Amino acid sequence: MVAETAPRAGHNAAWYPIATSDDLPFRHVYHGQLLGQEMAVWRADDGHVNAWENRCLHRGVRLSIGINEGAELKCQYHGWRYANRTAGCTYIPAHPADAPARRISNRTYRVMEADGLVWSTLSPDTPFALPPVDGEKLALRPIPVNASPEMVLTALVHARRSGSDVEALPPLGAGLELADLPGHPARFFVQPVDAARAVIRGIVARPAGDPLPLLRQFDDVLEALREVIEADAARVELPEPIVPVYQPVSVELSSMPPITIGAQNTLRVVVRRKFPAGADIVGLELGALEGHLPTFQPGAHIDLHLPNGLVRQYSLTNGPGEQLSYVIGVKREPTPGSGSQAVHEVVREGDVVAISEPRNNFPLRRDARKTLFIAGGIGITPLLAMAKALEAQGLAYGFELFARSDAHIPFPDDVGRLGARVNRHLGLDPGATSAAIGRIVANPGFAEQIYVCGPGPFLELVREEAAAAGWPESAVHFEYFKNLKPRDSSKSFKVELARSALSLDVPAGKSILAVLRDNGVNGPASCEQGACGTCLTRVLDGEIDHQDVYLNEAEKREGKVMMTCVSRARSTRLVLDI
Amino acid sequence: MIILYDFELSAECYAVRLLLGFTGLAHEIRPVDMFPGREQDEAWFRALSPDGTLPVLDDDGLVLTALPAILAHIAARSGGLGRWWPAAARDEIARWFAHAESLADSALRARWIITTGDGHSLPVLQARAHALLRTLDRHVWFAEKSGADWLAAGAHPSLADVAVFPAVALCEEGGISRQDYPAIRRWLDRVRRIPGFHVMSGVFPAGPARADVPFGSQ
Repeated sequence: MVAETAPRAGHNAAWYPIATSDDLPFRHVYHGQLLGQEMAVWRADDGHVNAWENRCLHRGVRLSIGINEGAELKCQYHGWRYANRTAGCTYIPAHPADAPARRISNRTYRVMEADGLVWSTLSPDTPFALPPVDGEKLALRPIPVNASPEMVLTALVHARRSGSDVEALPPLGAGLELADLPGHPARFFVQPVDAARAVIRGIVARPAGDPLPLLRQFDDVLEALREVIEADAARVELPEPIVPVYQPVSVELSSMPPITIGAQNTLRVVVRRKFPAGADIVGLELGALEGHLPTFQPGAHIDLHLPNGLVRQYSLTNGPGEQLSYVIGVKREPTPGSGSQAVHEVVREGDVVAISEPRNNFPLRRDARKTLFIAGGIGITPLLAMAKALEAQGLAYGFELFARSDAHIPFPDDVGRLGARVNRHLGLDPGATSAAIGRIVANPGFAEQIYVCGPGPFLELVREEAAAAGWPESAVHFEYFKNLKPRDSSKSFKVELARSALSLDVPAGKSILAVLRDNGVNGPASCEQGACGTCLTRVLDGEIDHQDVYLNEAEKREGKVMMTCVSRARSTRLVLDI
Repeated sequence: MIILYDFELSAECYAVRLLLGFTGLAHEIRPVDMFPGREQDEAWFRALSPDGTLPVLDDDGLVLTALPAILAHIAARSGGLGRWWPAAARDEIARWFAHAESLADSALRARWIITTGDGHSLPVLQARAHALLRTLDRHVWFAEKSGADWLAAGAHPSLADVAVFPAVALCEEGGISRQDYPAIRRWLDRVRRIPGFHVMSGVFPAGPARADVPFGSQ
């Protein structure tokens, strides 16, 4: 029997218990190890158990000394934050104004919880198959042993009641009755921590009444057994520790992303819920078909591919670590055939739709002394995600919400949960709105930041009032989904592509982006109206005629980058870094 | 009946024998062969003294293993508490207890090395620390199962937590990993959530406590 349960080459593919369920209490990070691979194991507030490679992607510091914040794990060293479920990096404090690249993601291990134990495997695909156990189970105190897992299992089997059976379990496990504890059959598993380290884990049927005496009896027997095993181990040469295999930097992470046109990496999601989220607004909860969705940061949006062929951008409203589904809000616009009409009328619960991976052109700084959110109507969506993130971190913020009436407040449940922080400004006419915004932004403070989102004229109003009150442009953050500014494409000019050694004529009525495409130069683009920032291109020489709403005034004045989808040249020639 | 588990060559045991003599308290001595027999590692003795330390005093089932507690108990049982442990001098006496522990850690350790040949190399010290941590982990695990968060009995942390925390929190700087002591790691979290907790170099803060539970305990 022993021979059958002894580990063999290839047992990296098997599942082993790595912890007890009780080892993962509220906001704790457990320091685990399996076959030489250290793991940071933590339970998020939503109950999900994460088992990650135990090193921060930044400086390799153990994440097991990090802080479990409930939805994110924060590295103790430089504060990099990683999301529940995906282990994707959501914030890098040294780069407060930037969204971390979405490929910065730690290695995750698969986890199962069963019979009071937490299980993991180094295998990406072995199915979890623990033989079923009847009744309620009690996990014994784990006993770490400084000996090879094989020695430990052999000793356990030898310690069984003479003549009794041994039930072979998955690798390195045995069901047996100990000679010193007859009448209490138990299932033992030997967790191979390393080549010469193991943990005995056991489960027994929960006795009626106080379980402590039984737990102590087992503990005494197992501690005595450990003493014997370790004394034996001291007499033999133990194998060298397993050399851990760290996840290599992926090809994706170490190379430039492929350049292709349009939204890439679409994924399919199912409409789990379609619900009223305020007057003329529906909320859509878009769930992963299996597992979780890609990591997002507050401020991120997705492209939603609609049944009528349109592609529209919507901000995510989710709080940190909510990676099972994205929640967006869509306001009904009167225009027939619009994206919002398709969402309101055609999309149903249970539909499968395509979306892009989240992109973040509206990253949230978390180094502000105070953050002021100013939302106009449905523009609240990205700000909700931001406020939830600051709330989770306990950072100071204020929230000013403008809506036509109480009934028009989008996502009233979410707004209600933010509590008294939200100041509601309802049913104001343009003059009163302007006056209210003037009061809100009247006193710019040191290291304070404004995030504003709403209809175009509302954004313009806030930006003007903030500028008049003395806020620096760099402290006022905004995101446009539509470019409503009148655009002028009447001028023709020449573009030179410095890297491609190409010189192209851009005629009146045609965008630089279109001319590039005609000549086989494909770059990323999305909204094609100067709002999303996807086609941002560096400019080496020439004077730019900015017609987008993505760049702020300071960036436009600097003249180093442009949006090739709408912006043009004032000079007769532009030199692009393509 | 008072029973002293004693090793003739132990300085700490000698202190107890001294006070028993001074007070004239009736007692019985049970010798434990610490060296070379290592009898303190045997199961029957570990059941009395989980870390295998001597002396141990058993007064009709009340088992005491810490030298200050043993001395205070003998003083009280002999009716001489006010003379041997006067309230006005407790701070002074506690300082001398600490002084004696430091001497045990230096002078007596040197004596032990020379008289027994037990070399105190780094691996030996680390192994001894691991043995102590195993005892601590087991204690905390069973305390948790009985609903207790702290080392000594009671709903509030005690001086025991304060006294033990620093060495445990800093042991990884001595090359002593806490990976095998998950219950200790949870206790460290709880201590670090006591309001007013301060870090030092090498000791990091824990995550925020649960708002509805004192100290964010289990």
